[in-house]
Amino acid sequence: MQNQLLDIPQENQLTRRLRGTIAWNLVTTIFHQSRFRFGLVLVLSTIFWAAVFCLFYDAFNFIDSMHAEVMSLLFNTFFSALMVMMIFSTGILMYGGLYRSGESSFLLTCPLRAEAIHAHKFTEALWFSSWGFILLGSPMLIAYGIVRDAPWSFFIMLIPFIVTFVIIPASIGSILCMLLVAGLPRLRLHTLSISLALVAMGILWFSWSTFGSVQSQALTPAWFEETLSRLAMTEQIFLPSWWLSSGLLDAALRGESRELTHKSTLEALKFLGLILANALFLSLVASWVARWTYRKGYSNLQAEVPTRRHRKIFWLDELLSRTGSQVGNPIRLLLVKDLQIFRRDVSQWSQFVIFFGLLALYFYNLRSFNYSHVYASLIGHLNLAVVGLILSTFTTRFVFPSISLEGRRFWILGLLPIHRDQIVWSKFLFSFVGGLIPCLGLILLSDSMLGLPWGAVFVHLTCCLALCGGLSGIAVGMGASMPNFRESSPAKIAAGFGGTLSLVLSAMFIILIVITVGFTNHFNLLQQTIGQLSGNTTSRLLGSYGGQVASLLIIIAGGLLATFLPLVLGIRAFRQLEP
Amino acid sequence: MIQFENATRTYGNKVAVSDLSLTIPSGELFALLGPNGAGKTTTIKMLVGLLRPSRGVIRVCGHDLITETRSAHLHLGYVPDEPYLYDKLTGHEFLRFIADMYRIPRDLSQERIKREIDRFELHEFADELAENYSLGMRQRLVFAAAFLHDPDVLVLDEPMVGLDPRSVRIVKDLLKAKTADGMTVFMSTHTLAMAEEMADRMGIMVQGNLKFLGTVSELREQVDMETRSLENLYLEITSSETGEDEVASDDT
Repeated sequence: MQNQLLDIPQENQLTRRLRGTIAWNLVTTIFHQSRFRFGLVLVLSTIFWAAVFCLFYDAFNFIDSMHAEVMSLLFNTFFSALMVMMIFSTGILMYGGLYRSGESSFLLTCPLRAEAIHAHKFTEALWFSSWGFILLGSPMLIAYGIVRDAPWSFFIMLIPFIVTFVIIPASIGSILCMLLVAGLPRLRLHTLSISLALVAMGILWFSWSTFGSVQSQALTPAWFEETLSRLAMTEQIFLPSWWLSSGLLDAALRGESRELTHKSTLEALKFLGLILANALFLSLVASWVARWTYRKGYSNLQAEVPTRRHRKIFWLDELLSRTGSQVGNPIRLLLVKDLQIFRRDVSQWSQFVIFFGLLALYFYNLRSFNYSHVYASLIGHLNLAVVGLILSTFTTRFVFPSISLEGRRFWILGLLPIHRDQIVWSKFLFSFVGGLIPCLGLILLSDSMLGLPWGAVFVHLTCCLALCGGLSGIAVGMGASMPNFRESSPAKIAAGFGGTLSLVLSAMFIILIVITVGFTNHFNLLQQTIGQLSGNTTSRLLGSYGGQVASLLIIIAGGLLATFLPLVLGIRAFRQLEP
Repeated sequence: MIQFENATRTYGNKVAVSDLSLTIPSGELFALLGPNGAGKTTTIKMLVGLLRPSRGVIRVCGHDLITETRSAHLHLGYVPDEPYLYDKLTGHEFLRFIADMYRIPRDLSQERIKREIDRFELHEFADELAENYSLGMRQRLVFAAAFLHDPDVLVLDEPMVGLDPRSVRIVKDLLKAKTADGMTVFMSTHTLAMAEEMADRMGIMVQGNLKFLGTVSELREQVDMETRSLENLYLEITSSETGEDEVASDDT
C-alpha cells in the first residue's frame, strides 16, 4: 500500500498529539522520580503567586484611592515592555528551535510541511516565552479585578485576552527570526550584535529620559507628574499593548447601572476582537513566511562555514599558568582549562553579562533618587540579596553540573598525575574568583550610588565575600557529592534533585546572611539618624556597636561553614567515586 | 530512483560537492566512500533535503527535492549517523508517531510496528522512555522507524556505528533482502570491507569530486591489474591531490 501525505489539519493533529504525549510522559516522570522537586516547584510557585497577588492588591488599593487615572498608564507601560521582551525572547527561542535543534533536523527529513514544523516549534516557544507573563500577569490582573470590584465577565475574559495578546509579539519575533536567517545568514552575528546594542542603548536612553533628569525633586509630586508624562509614550493607539490595556480597563469597569456595565463589557469585547484578529493575521503571516523561507534558511545556515581561527594563548591563561609555585600547578592548569571553556561557551558568559549588566544598569540608576539614610540602607541590603540570588542561580546552573560534566572526560583526568581533590578545589576556586570580582564591583557600585557610609560598605563587602565563598562551596561540594555522569546536558543536571537542593540551600544561606547583617546594620543607622532607639532592648542591642561586630562574626563563621563543610563532604565523596 | 544532476554545494568559497551526476536505479545498494571532509555528509544532507544544492537538481523517485519536497520524502527512509529520538517518548510511541506521519491505516500500522519490533528485537525496551536507551538501542529503533513505511529509497549515514554484531547481521540481511525486492539503498561509510561486502556499486569521493564510480568487481579489476590490495588502491585514490590519475569508470 502506498504511503500518503497528511493534510494540514492532520499534520497539526499529529504534532499536537506528539506534544501532548511528551508533556504527559514528562509530568508522570517528574511526579514519579522527582516528587521532591515537583512539590518544591509547586509550593514555591504558589508562594510566589500569592506574594505577587498581595503586592499588587495593596498597590492597586493605594492607587485606586489616590490616582485611579494612572492605571491606564501603568498597564500600558507594563504590557508594552512585556511585548518588546516577548518579541526578543520568542525570536531567540525560535532560532534555537527551528534552526539549531536536533528535532528540526529530524522533522525536515519527514514528509511534513514547513508550516507544520514552524507551528509545532512556535507553540513550544510561545509557552516558554509566556509562562513568566502568566505567572506575573495573572495575580496582577486578578488583584486589579478584585480591587475594582470588576464584573464576573472580567475574570472570564482574562484568559482569552492574555492568550491572544501573547500570540502577537511571539509571531512578530518568529517572523523577524525567519526573515533574518533567510535574508542575512552570513550577517546574523553582526545583525544580532547591532540589535542587542541598539536595545541596550534604547533601555539606557529610556531609563535616563524617564527617571534621570529630575534628581532634585525625586519622589515628589512634581517628579511623579513628570515621570508619568514621560511614560505616556507607551499609550500609542496602534500598539497591541494599548488594545490590551484598554480592553482590560473596560472589562473591569462596573457602571452605575447594568446597561453601563454591559456597554463597557461590549467595548472590552471589541478590543478582544481586535487583538484576536491581529493575532490570527500575524500567525498567518508567520506561517506564510515559514512556508517560503524556512527550508531555504535552514539550508543556508547549514552551509555556514565556521570561522577557523588560530587561537593564540590568551594573556590571562599565560599569566595563570606561570604564576605561583610549582606545587599548585595542576590546579592552575585546570583553572586555565575551565577559563578557556567558559570564554568559548557563549551561553555561559552571555547570561553572565546580561544578568550582571542589567544589575549594574539598575544600580547605576540608583543615584537618580535622593534617599534618606534609612531607605538607602534598606535598599543596599536588598541589593546585596539580589546579587547573592543572581550568583546562586549561576552557581547552581553552571558550577553545580561542572563536576558531573568532568565525569564524561574522566578517563583524561584519571590518567593525569593529579589528585582528585585538586579537581574539586580547582572548580571551587574558579567559581569563587569568577563570582567575587563582579559581585564586589556591583556592591561597590550600589553602595556608592546610594551614598552609604564606609562602615556599611565594609560590612556589605564582607557579606559579599562570605556569599561568594559559601555559594561556591555549596555548589561545588554538592556537585561532587551528588554527581550525575550519565547526563550530558548541564541544564538537566542542574534541574535534578541535587541541583534543586543546592539552589534551596543557597537561597537559605543568602537569607541568613542578609537578615543577620540587615537587622544590625539597619538598627545601627536608625540609631545614628534618630538618636537612641525608643524600642525594646533587643533592637537597641542589635543596633549597638557590639551587635554589629557580633553579626559580622556570625557572617564570617557562616560563610566559612557554608564554604568548607560541603567542600569537605564533596571531596570525601569524590575520592571514593567510581565513574 | 535517485538522480543527482550536476549537483553542486558550496560552503562560502569552498566547494563541498562539485558537479555530482549520478543515477542509482531501483534495487541497487550504492556505497559512498571517502575520507573525512570528502563531501559524503553534504551529499547525504542534500539527498534527504536538509541542504539545498547551490546548483543542479536531485530527484528521488522522480520528485525534485526542492519543488516536491514532501512527495520525495514520502519515498525516503533515513538513518543518520547521529539519530534523533524524543527522549520523553517510548520506542512504541515513536514508531506510532512515524506510522501516523506516513498516514498508514491503524490496523496496518499495528501490524508493521509489531513486525519491526520483532525484526530489530525491541521487545525488552519498546515501552521504556528513549532517554534510557543505549546507543545501540537507539540505532535499532531508528532502523525500525526507517523501515516502518516500507520506503522505496533508504539513505544510511554510517549505519553500523553503535550496533552489536548480531544487529549488524540483521541489518545486512535485511538490506540484501530489501534491495532484492526493489528498494534503493544509498549508504555512506568509512568501512571499505562493508562496502565491498554489501554494495552493488560504490563511489569514492575526494574533495567533493567522485574519483571512482563503478561496481565492486570493477574496482577489483583495478587491483588485479596492478597486484595491489583493495585497501591500497582506496588509499591511493583518496590521497590523490590532483585527480588526473582517476580510475573512474563510465556511467554517471
